[in-house]
Amino acid sequence: MLLTFKGRPVLPGNVSGVAVVSHGGFNTYASFFASIHEPSDEAICADSGNADLYGRDLADKVLCVPSTTGSTSGGAVWQRLIEMGNAPKALLFAKAIDSLAAGGLIVADVWAGRRIVVVDRLGDAFLETVVHGDALTIGEDGGVVIRRTGA
Amino acid sequence: MKDAAVLASPVGARSRLERNVTAMAPDAAGTAQIQLTPDEEAVLAGSEGPVLQKVMRTVVQYGEALGAERLVDISGNGHLVIAYAIPGIAPSLEMLEELVAAGLRTKYPFTLDPRPPLDYDNWALEGWQLEVLNDMYRDQERYEDLLLQLGLRDADAYTCRPFLEEVGNVPKAGDILAWSESACVVYANSVLGARTNRNGAIMDLLCNVAGKVPLSGLLVDDARRATWRIEVRTAELPLPQLLGAAIGRRVLADVPLVTGLERFLSADLEAPTRDYLNEMGTACATAGAVGLFHVEGITPEAVAQGTDVLAADHRTSVIDDDMLAALTASYPVLWRDPEARPEKCYLGCPHISAAQIEWWARSITAALRAQGQARIKVPTTLCAAPQTLARLGAAASALRDLEAAGVRLSAGCPMQLFDDDLAAGSAIITNSTKLRTYTNARFFPDRRIVEILIGGEV
Repeated sequence: MLLTFKGRPVLPGNVSGVAVVSHGGFNTYASFFASIHEPSDEAICADSGNADLYGRDLADKVLCVPSTTGSTSGGAVWQRLIEMGNAPKALLFAKAIDSLAAGGLIVADVWAGRRIVVVDRLGDAFLETVVHGDALTIGEDGGVVIRRTGA
Repeated sequence: MKDAAVLASPVGARSRLERNVTAMAPDAAGTAQIQLTPDEEAVLAGSEGPVLQKVMRTVVQYGEALGAERLVDISGNGHLVIAYAIPGIAPSLEMLEELVAAGLRTKYPFTLDPRPPLDYDNWALEGWQLEVLNDMYRDQERYEDLLLQLGLRDADAYTCRPFLEEVGNVPKAGDILAWSESACVVYANSVLGARTNRNGAIMDLLCNVAGKVPLSGLLVDDARRATWRIEVRTAELPLPQLLGAAIGRRVLADVPLVTGLERFLSADLEAPTRDYLNEMGTACATAGAVGLFHVEGITPEAVAQGTDVLAADHRTSVIDDDMLAALTASYPVLWRDPEARPEKCYLGCPHISAAQIEWWARSITAALRAQGQARIKVPTTLCAAPQTLARLGAAASALRDLEAAGVRLSAGCPMQLFDDDLAAGSAIITNSTKLRTYTNARFFPDRRIVEILIGGEV
């Protein structure tokens, strides 16, 4: 089964990956503060306030969120994750990207030289549809395809 | 990342490509491509060198992501959140060195959030905690030196209360700024009438280096209208951080107009009102993501616009004493042993004013005298701007009284004492709902804190 959604490519790219989904606002620093200290293959979500993601590995995943929340000091986290090798592969926002996420992700993109693909404005229906483990294909035009076998 | 990572292509080419891709994509919100001036285009094309080009590209992409139609010039000093040389919070030293080597600095000077708590004597720390902190902050000195070269106003410009008179980073109404630190953003917008969005760490610095910020969000008139009317119906003036937490939870990232405080606060924004609104705003910004509030009859845009400051389709909500009591009761106790005697008390998050320090000195001294007691029973650190402590130290007895009672004074920030499990589960008390939100510290109202300090137990 294929389900397609269309958003706005903020940091465009063609990538495929496995979805992890947060239905509430994603607190960037609270989620990653334990994952930024040394090079690693995993980034276990440390935000105990996020029932959807707490304890899940977010490294190399396609992270699906409504928008992000939290401290203005969280801006450097994305760049650090890229350097440590455990960043998510892509970020998909249901809503318009918030200023904290935009700032952090764009700084990481321009200054770390490696991209986390970002698409925003995918709509609430996207977040109501996508579930943990879905195989997602993202196009540089902001298209997102959810691929489920046997459904 | 690995196989799926999209490698960056060379500087200039990628910028143009991306801007075209963004512009060509069907755009759900119908925003147009950002319009740049010829000067901005030239910098983006590399006329001022590759590093400023990269800075400008970052700011332009930020503007595109936020749907800004253009950039505007920053018109005043900065205040930035990035005071800690911790990897993952601070920009990398390599990045700062790249900026410095290119001869770049911010267009206007900036102040920074408080220093980390490296004044160990003031924090009653144990040996293993000092080791962790020493390791965590091994690059702090080099980092501070780089920030001075990038435009930090002076070597003591570290506080989350930069707009106090003695600190002197006081934006003017209408100033266009690129601030971070949510507590400072909300005060600059709400009480001073300046205009800044809630910018994240590093982007704040790069906007101030470019001298430009995207025209979006709270820089635009429409976004400054209140979409909530919050009616405060308490019997007395509520604790500001408790009221702020209640407002933040209710409105999240929206703009509230708060009514009912004019019964208690003077209309002329004198010092006690400023102290109150600073505490309230800090808590609003922490419990929600509030970047601007209005207070009926008191804050400048509410005074100037009257009820026009309210959006036509605003929602209304009431906050009363029962609700604030329920909010206090809802805070979980995150101590390892909920019945423990308090081990430490942290006051001054955010940094407090001279008048607030004097209140603590009077209250603690009077309570000690009433008990015939010389010193408090809970090791306590009170935080304020270095300039506030210097000013008080010269003249007033408040600092002497506090020190005699056993209170230590610091210009640092207690938040970092909770990183890396430094204080995991410890029985720490505070009067700050902000500190409570980010740590396992337990919140108590000011007067209750005084009782606990004297008696040594909750």
